[in-house]
Amino acid sequence: MESAVVRYRIISQVLFLTIFVLLFLLTNYRGFDEIRYPVRIFLEFDPLIAFTTLLAAHHLPTVMLFSLAVVGSALVLGRVFCGWVCPLGTIHHFVSWLYHRKEKDILPRSNLLGYRIKYYLLFFILASSVFTLQSVGFFDPISLLIRSMTLFVEPVVNLMVHSIFGFFYDTEIRWITALTEPIYSLLKNNFLSFRQPYFHQALFIGFLFVAILLMNFYRMRFWCFSLCPLGALLGLVSQVSLLRRWISEACTKCDICFSGCQAFARGNQDKWLRSECLVCGNCQNRCPEGAIDFGLSPSAALTKPGLNLIRRNLLVSAASGIIAVPFLRMNSRYRNPNPKLIRPPGALEEGEFLKRCLKCGECMKVCLTNGLQPTLMEAGLEGIWSPILIPRLGYCQFYCTLCGQVCPSGAIKKLTVSKKVQVRIGLAFIDKNRCLPYSQGIDCIVCEEYCPTPKKAIWFIEKRVKDRGGIVKIVKQPVVDLELCTGCGICENKCPVVDKPAIVVTSIGESRSGVNRLSLY
Amino acid sequence: MTQEPNRRTFLRTLGLSAASITLSPLAESLLPGSTLPARNVPIDLVVAEGSSIPKITSAAVGLMGGIKRFISRGDIVVIKPNMAWDRKPEQAANTNPHVVATLVSLCLDAGAKRVKVFDRSCDDPRRCYVQSGIAHAARKAGAEITFVDDRKFKEMNIGGEVLKSWKIYTEVVEADALINVPIAKHHSLAKLSMAMKNWMGAIGGWRGKLHWRLNQCLADLASFFKPSLTLLDAVRILVNHGPQGGRLEDVKGMDMVIAGVDQIAVDSFGATLFGMKGSDLGCVKEGHTRGLGRMDIENLKVKRVHVPTP
Repeated sequence: MESAVVRYRIISQVLFLTIFVLLFLLTNYRGFDEIRYPVRIFLEFDPLIAFTTLLAAHHLPTVMLFSLAVVGSALVLGRVFCGWVCPLGTIHHFVSWLYHRKEKDILPRSNLLGYRIKYYLLFFILASSVFTLQSVGFFDPISLLIRSMTLFVEPVVNLMVHSIFGFFYDTEIRWITALTEPIYSLLKNNFLSFRQPYFHQALFIGFLFVAILLMNFYRMRFWCFSLCPLGALLGLVSQVSLLRRWISEACTKCDICFSGCQAFARGNQDKWLRSECLVCGNCQNRCPEGAIDFGLSPSAALTKPGLNLIRRNLLVSAASGIIAVPFLRMNSRYRNPNPKLIRPPGALEEGEFLKRCLKCGECMKVCLTNGLQPTLMEAGLEGIWSPILIPRLGYCQFYCTLCGQVCPSGAIKKLTVSKKVQVRIGLAFIDKNRCLPYSQGIDCIVCEEYCPTPKKAIWFIEKRVKDRGGIVKIVKQPVVDLELCTGCGICENKCPVVDKPAIVVTSIGESRSGVNRLSLY
Repeated sequence: MTQEPNRRTFLRTLGLSAASITLSPLAESLLPGSTLPARNVPIDLVVAEGSSIPKITSAAVGLMGGIKRFISRGDIVVIKPNMAWDRKPEQAANTNPHVVATLVSLCLDAGAKRVKVFDRSCDDPRRCYVQSGIAHAARKAGAEITFVDDRKFKEMNIGGEVLKSWKIYTEVVEADALINVPIAKHHSLAKLSMAMKNWMGAIGGWRGKLHWRLNQCLADLASFFKPSLTLLDAVRILVNHGPQGGRLEDVKGMDMVIAGVDQIAVDSFGATLFGMKGSDLGCVKEGHTRGLGRMDIENLKVKRVHVPTP
């Protein structure tokens, strides 16, 4: 039988995870130009992201002030966010529970002292953000979860559901499809992606995600315990929290309380680590004597913290964070713009963009055409997993403004439709050696047909050509108007020269850059 | 408690499943078809003009012999509009939503079992369906609005001069009655995009490849698809920067719809709205030459009607 605290905690965990998943599903085009409830709301409550954004970009989106609520909760109740709210924490908790629920005692493994690593990681991140490197996106739990869900979990789930129902569909047996197809449409209309998403590096990101989930087998809530920098920040704040644990005289020192502890907050009264305690209530729940009690006390804030960080390690972490800045930026990108680095419309100038981008992947999730993909090295080490448009995979839909709407940090500006259609993200170039009207003298015009600017950015030169049989005809040879081309990439996407398109967009001409321009345009 | 399957029950199940898989299409083909020979109506084309879109649509269908000439009670009807682009009705890149909605109502009133409306759009389908206004209007009129399902494209034998076989949307082929509702608009290769060009939205594959020999391909498609009725929307026509337009300067209000059974004749008449003749359009000429229909509208009976607004 669970105690009241544990019951409420589980309800809270399920509730917040459900809200997270719902918001995640709502972060999608659903027939309206505006996305009202994007999942970035969770990032707005994330104090670590607010803090590093302020440090790195010297800017704080107003909505990120919500994160003060989480700081406030830590000042009163310690790491209650980690134990009761954090969706990634809940997932870790669930996986840990699956694996460890039969164990009577997890004491041996809980002895590991790895809990300090996260503080060193936090110092690394904070030091680098002071020197304008926004590295928090790689490690922040919310950002990590949204990214992993978008780039890996959702595509995998889609593919699985699709192939299962596809199997039944392909049987072409009436009574089977009559049964399965309604379920499939229900799922498709409400939960699945509109089209099967494919992402570069899905496997890599999925591997990392699965790896941190598997670490729960090694140790309960390994990520929360050892690595999570947000947990570390809240741990530091909760050093001065009002939360207190009392152990009454009834304690027989049986140590059963250790067995349920998800973190390293074990020990008797003197050794209890407030900074590690996730306030999960398991110890209280398991105590056969009912000797454990939690409560608030102003005097608790003054008790000795007991968080035993090694000063030398902290200094080394901070120093590494500082050294990381030039190290990650040792890249030719700073000398010459990358032609392939086509950023979403509304993206800030590259330097400023990288200071804010959290690599959460929300822009990639909402991109209608699946054209926004995570970078690997296109934007340097610093920009890994930031968004890049790959026109061959998907173009930028002319009237769509979704990526800017869901960006949590303002790395992609929110644009009105009338502004967005004027933003240039690149420029199309025709490869005359491959373009059919030029190289073969045959009709095509597909790029012009798809060109979305009201006055088309592709026009024609009509050319008389003679075919092999001597028959003269007129073909329309496309030309890009560099004043009108927005670089949306639909021409490259639809070019019928399938393998290597005859019209290619590169980043030159992008509105956000002062340098990467062609002459005066 | 479940019983372990023994060899006999296993074989019986296997045999029954195999039989049901093999026989189910056969059983379907034995069911009576619902195609009735069309009554011979002397009018070849109806051109209805007026400011009320539902009225001119109904009038055009009415003068062609009424919707019951084209569909029967219990039919599954597919209405194929052009909703290829992320554009609004006033930009005249997609079929007018009221034309489509009126057709849906007519079909349902005539006893159609189901009316399906879809298009394989060029831009993101979700935006096209919403921005064109068609999804909303047609759904309100009672149609089933679905996005095309990739699984339902099947390689079919076209038997054309250029297109030997191509991926075709099965729901279009399987419909009891098919109604083609294109919009009349400019296209820089076909010159104009109307009824024949609208079949591009019923096929799968990499459609741009058809552009190489577009006119022949369009004639091939026109010989493959057998619409009971073609209704050309010329409420607004797009005279330049087609097929998706975007500028209101390129839109010309005509307040007109053209109905016909012969899609070549419909397109041939449509050409006159742009100051061209049917023979100016390669695909129409090709269709005429092949005997798919007639482009010599001067020899056809064209009924013009003006529907006044009360």
